[in-house]
Amino acid sequence: MSESEVSGSDIYMQSLVRFEQGMQYMVSAKSGHGKSSLLNFIYGISNAYVGDIAIREDGGGVVLQSSRDFKVRQMSYMFQDLCLFPELTALENVQLKNRLTDFKSESEIESMLMALLPSEKLNQPVATLSLGQRQRVAAVRSLCQPFRFLLLDEPFSHVDNENAHRMASLVAGEVERQHAGLIVTALDPVDQFEFDKVMNL
Amino acid sequence: MIRKLQRKTMEPIQLVGYAITLLVGATIALLAVQIWRDIRPVLTEQTDVFKAHTVTVSKNITMFKTADKEKIYFGEKELEKLRAQEFVKDVAPFGSASFAASAAISFNGQKLSTDLFFESVPDEYLDVKSEDWVWDSANGFLPIVIPEDYLSLYNFGFAESQSLPVVSEAMLSQVTFNIYVSGNGRHQVYNSRIVGLSGKINSILVPESFLQWANVEFGTGGKERSSRLLVEFADATDERIPQYFEATGLNINQNELEASKLTFFFKLAMLFVVVTALIIVVLSAVLIIMSMNLIVHKNRSLFVNLYNIGYTPAQIARYYHRVISGVTVVVVAMAALLSAWVRHLYVGRLDTVFHIEGGPVSLWVSALLLLLVLLVIYNIFIARIIKSN
Repeated sequence: MSESEVSGSDIYMQSLVRFEQGMQYMVSAKSGHGKSSLLNFIYGISNAYVGDIAIREDGGGVVLQSSRDFKVRQMSYMFQDLCLFPELTALENVQLKNRLTDFKSESEIESMLMALLPSEKLNQPVATLSLGQRQRVAAVRSLCQPFRFLLLDEPFSHVDNENAHRMASLVAGEVERQHAGLIVTALDPVDQFEFDKVMNL
Repeated sequence: MIRKLQRKTMEPIQLVGYAITLLVGATIALLAVQIWRDIRPVLTEQTDVFKAHTVTVSKNITMFKTADKEKIYFGEKELEKLRAQEFVKDVAPFGSASFAASAAISFNGQKLSTDLFFESVPDEYLDVKSEDWVWDSANGFLPIVIPEDYLSLYNFGFAESQSLPVVSEAMLSQVTFNIYVSGNGRHQVYNSRIVGLSGKINSILVPESFLQWANVEFGTGGKERSSRLLVEFADATDERIPQYFEATGLNINQNELEASKLTFFFKLAMLFVVVTALIIVVLSAVLIIMSMNLIVHKNRSLFVNLYNIGYTPAQIARYYHRVISGVTVVVVAMAALLSAWVRHLYVGRLDTVFHIEGGPVSLWVSALLLLLVLLVIYNIFIARIIKSN
């Protein structure tokens, strides 16, 4: 991106940006301004940036993004393109993630999915679900692991307002329980969460 | 669940192709190794009847050498050169007598006598074991060993044509006669008897200690020279032996080298087979590794998604690793059993010709080794392929 594009950014070109565990952040920007890139940098699956990202442990040490359990116990990420497996059912998609840590029980998974999806959709391949339904599956999946930060990349882009509220309350509950930080990106203002800080990218 | 995702990415044809190639390659390789282990001792054994690592070497007698007899002797340099060869363990020149000798026997009141020559070889090279093979200047008894061929010549040739009785080795060794030795202005008579027949050394032999003593006592005092050598090989089946003697123009009993020639061709053939089989095995490994590459490329999004939601490359690789390792274990086991069965067949056939000892140990060991190598290779490669994507 050019310098003029990022001149008003609260994140890019800044000497230090901190995201605190336990706080909820909203990162808003126009399409193409690198919201997903920012989350990818934090999640450690892209390194096309200049600068340093340090993830502090509670004790003050640094957790490496390349460490074995970084994506399994430190960070959870709901991808903009969802990264679901279309040939697996909604339930299986969530189970596949949950099996890495056995964080949630089968009944917890099912009740979370049922809160957001019609029950008959649980055992249908994800390929047959609508985009909005898939987004809800991906949101549930992102909650099925321990995390210190939850990254949601445009989570409500294809979800109606009512479902967005249900999703948000499910997410907020889990984030609360885990005393985790939350970073949500969106194009437009999101009123489903009570953000501690809204940042422009 | 991850299995449900990954099962579809593997095409059966890839595994079947791998299994068949590996089966063919492994079976041939294992069988060749086992045949090599089975047949080699038989080849070596045939030359190993008694000190068979030893052969008699002389120079070729040619027209020129007839005129100049000096050329048939071995010089010090030639001996050194021969000793320096890697396959030569020891070289022992024949000792020859530099005095005149004759044998006399009284038969029906008639006295028959014949001129003789003597040679000697170190005792350890003699293929005759007899308690009488000692020279003791005090008792005046001189044991003699003659070639087996002499007795055969007499029994089947001379005795037949002259209507004389045939003689056994036991009979022959009971006949005593006198040996007259003279030279240097002295002469001496010894009691003598043939104490054994040599199948290997084509000469009339007396103990080396006698010859050394007698050469001083009766000899002309000339330098001792040898026209024949006993050469002991470290391994008589070494294929460099015939090549060396061919190149240096030395005369060696060709029969002695049959085994080494046979071994050479056998080794060459087996080497060829093993190398070919190993190439097939390597190709099968390349085939499955390339298939793995193809799977990763065809299913990139699946692998990336799994990685993104927290699966490590090792976890992603596990399914493929298990399937490929499983197929490898089964196929190598099949190859081993198949080879063991074929070995069972050929051992049965060959048992009438020569005895093959022991079980197919080499086969099992080689199979395990092959399996280990393949599994280690896959362990390294499969995870690496997935990681690199």
